[in-house]
Amino acid sequence: MANGQDKKDDDMPDFSDVQGGASSTAPAAAAYEIYEVKSGDSLSRIAKHFYGSGNLWKTIFEANTDILKDPNKIFPGQKLKIPPKS
Amino acid sequence: MKKITAIMLALPVMAGALACKKNEPPPPPPVTAPATTLPVPVSVSGISLGNAIGEDKRVTASLEAFGAKDTIYAVVETAGTGHAKLRALWSFVKGEKTAKVDETMLEFDSAAPAVNEFHIAKPSGWPKGDYKVEIFLGDATVPAATKTFKVG
Repeated sequence: MANGQDKKDDDMPDFSDVQGGASSTAPAAAAYEIYEVKSGDSLSRIAKHFYGSGNLWKTIFEANTDILKDPNKIFPGQKLKIPPKS
Repeated sequence: MKKITAIMLALPVMAGALACKKNEPPPPPPVTAPATTLPVPVSVSGISLGNAIGEDKRVTASLEAFGAKDTIYAVVETAGTGHAKLRALWSFVKGEKTAKVDETMLEFDSAAPAVNEFHIAKPSGWPKGDYKVEIFLGDATVPAATKTFKVG
Protein backbone atom coordinates (compact mmCIF):
# COMPACT_ATOMS: atom_id res chain seq x y z
CA MET A 1 0.00 0.00 0.00
CA ALA A 2 0.92 3.57 -0.01
CA ASN A 3 3.95 5.01 1.43
CA GLY A 4 3.32 8.64 2.13
CA GLN A 5 6.80 8.80 3.53
CA ASP A 6 8.18 10.74 0.60
CA LYS A 7 8.76 14.41 0.95
CA LYS A 8 5.77 16.36 -0.18
CA ASP A 9 6.45 17.70 -3.60
CA ASP A 10 3.81 19.90 -5.17
CA ASP A 11 4.96 18.84 -8.63
CA MET A 12 4.43 15.19 -7.90
CA PRO A 13 1.11 13.34 -7.71
CA ASP A 14 -0.16 11.78 -4.50
CA PHE A 15 0.32 8.02 -4.32
CA SER A 16 -0.91 7.56 -0.76
CA ASP A 17 -3.81 5.32 -1.81
CA VAL A 18 -1.70 2.87 -3.83
CA GLN A 19 -2.25 -0.76 -2.92
CA GLY A 20 0.59 -3.16 -3.62
CA GLY A 21 1.17 -6.85 -3.23
CA ALA A 22 3.08 -9.84 -4.47
CA SER A 23 2.93 -13.62 -4.76
CA SER A 24 5.03 -16.44 -6.15
CA THR A 25 4.80 -19.93 -7.56
CA ALA A 26 7.51 -20.85 -5.04
CA PRO A 27 6.06 -22.53 -1.96
CA ALA A 28 5.87 -20.67 1.33
CA ALA A 29 6.45 -17.29 -0.21
CA ALA A 30 5.84 -14.31 2.04
CA ALA A 31 5.11 -10.82 0.75
CA TYR A 32 5.52 -7.59 2.67
CA GLU A 33 4.96 -3.97 1.92
CA ILE A 34 7.95 -1.85 2.89
CA TYR A 35 7.17 1.31 4.84
CA GLU A 36 9.74 3.90 5.80
CA VAL A 37 8.94 5.49 9.14
CA LYS A 38 8.52 9.24 9.05
CA SER A 39 8.49 11.81 11.81
CA GLY A 40 5.36 11.60 13.96
CA ASP A 41 4.56 7.98 13.09
CA SER A 42 3.50 5.36 15.59
CA LEU A 43 2.80 1.69 14.99
CA SER A 44 -0.92 2.26 15.57
CA ARG A 45 -0.93 5.11 13.06
CA ILE A 46 0.85 2.94 10.49
CA ALA A 47 -1.56 0.08 11.22
CA LYS A 48 -4.51 2.42 10.67
CA HIS A 49 -3.03 3.50 7.36
CA PHE A 50 -2.43 -0.02 6.06
CA TYR A 51 -5.15 -2.05 7.77
CA GLY A 52 -7.78 0.55 8.56
CA SER A 53 -7.42 -0.13 12.30
CA GLY A 54 -4.80 1.10 14.72
CA ASN A 55 -5.54 -1.88 16.95
CA LEU A 56 -3.61 -4.09 14.55
CA TRP A 57 -0.27 -2.43 15.44
CA LYS A 58 0.90 -5.73 16.98
CA THR A 59 0.87 -7.39 13.55
CA ILE A 60 3.44 -4.87 12.38
CA PHE A 61 5.47 -5.09 15.60
CA GLU A 62 5.66 -8.88 15.44
CA ALA A 63 6.84 -8.77 11.83
CA ASN A 64 9.68 -6.45 12.78
CA THR A 65 11.05 -7.80 16.05
CA ASP A 66 14.43 -8.08 14.34
CA ILE A 67 14.70 -4.29 14.38
CA LEU A 68 12.09 -3.25 16.96
CA LYS A 69 12.50 -4.06 20.64
CA ASP A 70 9.89 -1.66 21.98
CA PRO A 71 6.67 -0.94 20.06
CA ASN A 72 6.72 2.62 21.35
CA LYS A 73 10.14 3.32 19.91
CA ILE A 74 10.28 3.65 16.17
CA PHE A 75 12.47 6.12 14.37
CA PRO A 76 12.27 8.07 11.10
CA GLY A 77 14.07 6.23 8.34
CA GLN A 78 13.46 2.74 9.73
CA LYS A 79 12.07 0.44 7.07
CA LEU A 80 9.28 -1.72 8.41
CA LYS A 81 7.86 -4.85 6.87
CA ILE A 82 4.08 -4.60 6.66
CA PRO A 83 2.52 -8.07 6.34
CA PRO A 84 -0.73 -8.41 4.45
CA LYS A 85 -3.87 -8.00 6.55
CA SER A 86 -4.83 -11.49 7.70
CA MET B 1 85.65 -55.08 -20.06
CA LYS B 2 83.88 -54.62 -16.79
CA LYS B 3 81.46 -52.31 -18.54
CA ILE B 4 80.61 -54.87 -21.25
CA THR B 5 80.04 -57.56 -18.60
CA ALA B 6 77.75 -55.28 -16.69
CA ILE B 7 75.71 -54.47 -19.81
CA MET B 8 75.42 -58.12 -20.74
CA LEU B 9 74.22 -58.99 -17.27
CA ALA B 10 71.70 -56.19 -17.30
CA LEU B 11 70.17 -56.99 -20.69
CA PRO B 12 68.27 -60.13 -19.64
CA VAL B 13 66.98 -58.34 -16.56
CA MET B 14 65.68 -55.45 -18.68
CA ALA B 15 64.16 -57.86 -21.21
CA GLY B 16 62.46 -59.71 -18.40
CA ALA B 17 61.14 -56.52 -16.99
CA LEU B 18 59.73 -55.52 -20.37
CA ALA B 19 58.15 -58.95 -20.84
CA CYS B 20 56.52 -58.71 -17.45
CA LYS B 21 55.25 -55.26 -18.21
CA LYS B 22 53.63 -56.52 -21.44
CA ASN B 23 51.49 -58.99 -19.49
CA GLU B 24 50.40 -56.52 -16.82
CA PRO B 25 46.76 -55.55 -16.95
CA PRO B 26 46.11 -51.98 -18.03
CA PRO B 27 46.18 -49.54 -15.17
CA PRO B 28 42.82 -48.63 -13.75
CA PRO B 29 41.40 -45.34 -14.89
CA PRO B 30 42.29 -42.46 -12.61
CA VAL B 31 39.92 -42.03 -9.76
CA THR B 32 37.88 -38.86 -10.15
CA ALA B 33 35.72 -37.31 -7.49
CA PRO B 34 32.01 -37.82 -8.09
CA ALA B 35 30.46 -34.85 -9.92
CA THR B 36 28.92 -32.46 -7.44
CA THR B 37 26.43 -29.83 -8.48
CA LEU B 38 26.87 -26.67 -6.52
CA PRO B 39 23.61 -24.86 -5.84
CA VAL B 40 23.13 -21.95 -8.20
CA PRO B 41 21.91 -18.90 -6.30
CA VAL B 42 18.63 -17.32 -7.34
CA SER B 43 18.88 -14.84 -10.18
CA VAL B 44 16.39 -12.84 -12.21
CA SER B 45 15.90 -14.41 -15.61
CA GLY B 46 13.15 -12.20 -16.99
CA ILE B 47 10.62 -9.47 -16.31
CA SER B 48 7.41 -8.53 -18.08
CA LEU B 49 4.55 -6.13 -17.43
CA GLY B 50 0.84 -6.55 -17.95
CA ASN B 51 -2.57 -5.67 -16.56
CA ALA B 52 -3.65 -9.25 -15.87
CA ILE B 53 -2.00 -12.54 -14.95
CA GLY B 54 -3.04 -16.14 -15.43
CA GLU B 55 -3.03 -18.99 -12.94
CA ASP B 56 0.62 -19.56 -13.77
CA LYS B 57 1.23 -15.97 -12.60
CA ARG B 58 2.51 -14.93 -16.01
CA VAL B 59 1.06 -11.85 -17.71
CA THR B 60 -1.69 -12.67 -20.17
CA ALA B 61 -0.34 -9.99 -22.54
CA SER B 62 2.88 -8.01 -22.31
CA LEU B 63 2.22 -4.26 -22.11
CA GLU B 64 4.23 -1.07 -21.78
CA ALA B 65 1.29 1.37 -21.55
CA PHE B 66 -1.58 1.20 -19.09
CA GLY B 67 -4.94 2.75 -18.40
CA ALA B 68 -5.66 4.91 -15.37
CA LYS B 69 -7.69 2.22 -13.62
CA ASP B 70 -5.44 -0.74 -14.43
CA THR B 71 -3.85 -2.99 -11.88
CA ILE B 72 -0.26 -3.14 -13.06
CA TYR B 73 1.64 -6.40 -12.73
CA ALA B 74 5.39 -6.93 -12.94
CA VAL B 75 6.13 -10.60 -13.40
CA VAL B 76 9.66 -11.57 -12.44
CA GLU B 77 10.97 -14.98 -13.40
CA THR B 78 13.79 -16.38 -11.33
CA ALA B 79 16.22 -19.24 -11.80
CA GLY B 80 18.43 -20.96 -9.25
CA THR B 81 17.74 -22.39 -5.84
CA GLY B 82 17.85 -21.32 -2.23
CA HIS B 83 16.37 -18.58 -0.10
CA ALA B 84 15.62 -15.45 -2.06
CA LYS B 85 14.46 -11.92 -1.37
CA LEU B 86 13.04 -9.91 -4.23
CA ARG B 87 12.10 -6.27 -3.79
CA ALA B 88 10.05 -4.25 -6.25
CA LEU B 89 10.37 -0.48 -6.14
CA TRP B 90 7.74 1.31 -8.22
CA SER B 91 8.38 4.97 -9.06
CA PHE B 92 6.77 7.82 -10.91
CA VAL B 93 9.28 9.64 -13.10
CA LYS B 94 8.96 13.29 -14.03
CA GLY B 95 12.07 14.65 -15.70
CA GLU B 96 14.89 14.28 -13.24
CA LYS B 97 12.55 13.75 -10.29
CA THR B 98 11.13 10.48 -9.08
CA ALA B 99 8.42 9.81 -6.50
CA LYS B 100 8.08 6.47 -4.79
CA VAL B 101 4.80 4.80 -5.65
CA ASP B 102 5.17 1.53 -3.75
CA GLU B 103 7.77 -0.88 -2.41
CA THR B 104 7.07 -4.56 -1.83
CA MET B 105 9.29 -7.42 -0.76
CA LEU B 106 8.81 -11.07 -1.51
CA GLU B 107 10.72 -13.79 0.35
CA PHE B 108 10.70 -17.41 -0.73
CA ASP B 109 12.66 -20.64 -0.82
CA SER B 110 13.22 -21.69 -4.36
CA ALA B 111 13.88 -25.27 -5.42
CA ALA B 112 13.17 -24.64 -9.09
CA PRO B 113 12.60 -21.73 -11.46
CA ALA B 114 9.83 -19.55 -10.04
CA VAL B 115 7.39 -17.02 -11.39
CA ASN B 116 6.85 -14.10 -9.04
CA GLU B 117 4.35 -11.32 -9.47
CA PHE B 118 4.28 -7.84 -7.97
CA HIS B 119 1.26 -5.64 -8.48
CA ILE B 120 0.03 -2.16 -7.74
CA ALA B 121 -3.43 -0.63 -7.96
CA LYS B 122 -4.69 2.87 -7.33
CA PRO B 123 -8.45 3.11 -6.78
CA SER B 124 -8.47 6.83 -7.53
CA GLY B 125 -6.69 6.25 -10.84
CA TRP B 126 -3.10 6.49 -11.99
CA PRO B 127 -1.81 9.94 -12.88
CA LYS B 128 -0.69 10.11 -16.49
CA GLY B 129 3.03 9.95 -17.01
CA ASP B 130 6.12 7.81 -16.95
CA TYR B 131 6.78 5.13 -14.40
CA LYS B 132 9.40 2.49 -13.70
CA VAL B 133 9.70 -0.62 -11.63
CA GLU B 134 13.08 -1.77 -10.35
CA ILE B 135 13.63 -5.30 -9.07
CA PHE B 136 16.32 -5.82 -6.45
CA LEU B 137 17.68 -9.19 -5.44
CA GLY B 138 18.65 -9.68 -1.80
CA ASP B 139 20.10 -6.56 -0.24
CA ALA B 140 21.55 -5.30 -3.50
CA THR B 141 21.40 -1.57 -4.11
CA VAL B 142 21.66 -1.97 -7.86
CA PRO B 143 18.54 -3.36 -9.53
CA ALA B 144 18.70 -6.79 -11.14
CA ALA B 145 16.08 -5.65 -13.65
CA THR B 146 14.26 -2.45 -14.55
CA LYS B 147 11.19 -1.82 -16.70
CA THR B 148 9.67 1.50 -17.69
CA PHE B 149 6.04 2.05 -18.64
CA LYS B 150 3.52 4.76 -19.28
CA VAL B 151 0.05 5.54 -18.04
CA GLY B 152 -2.35 7.54 -20.16
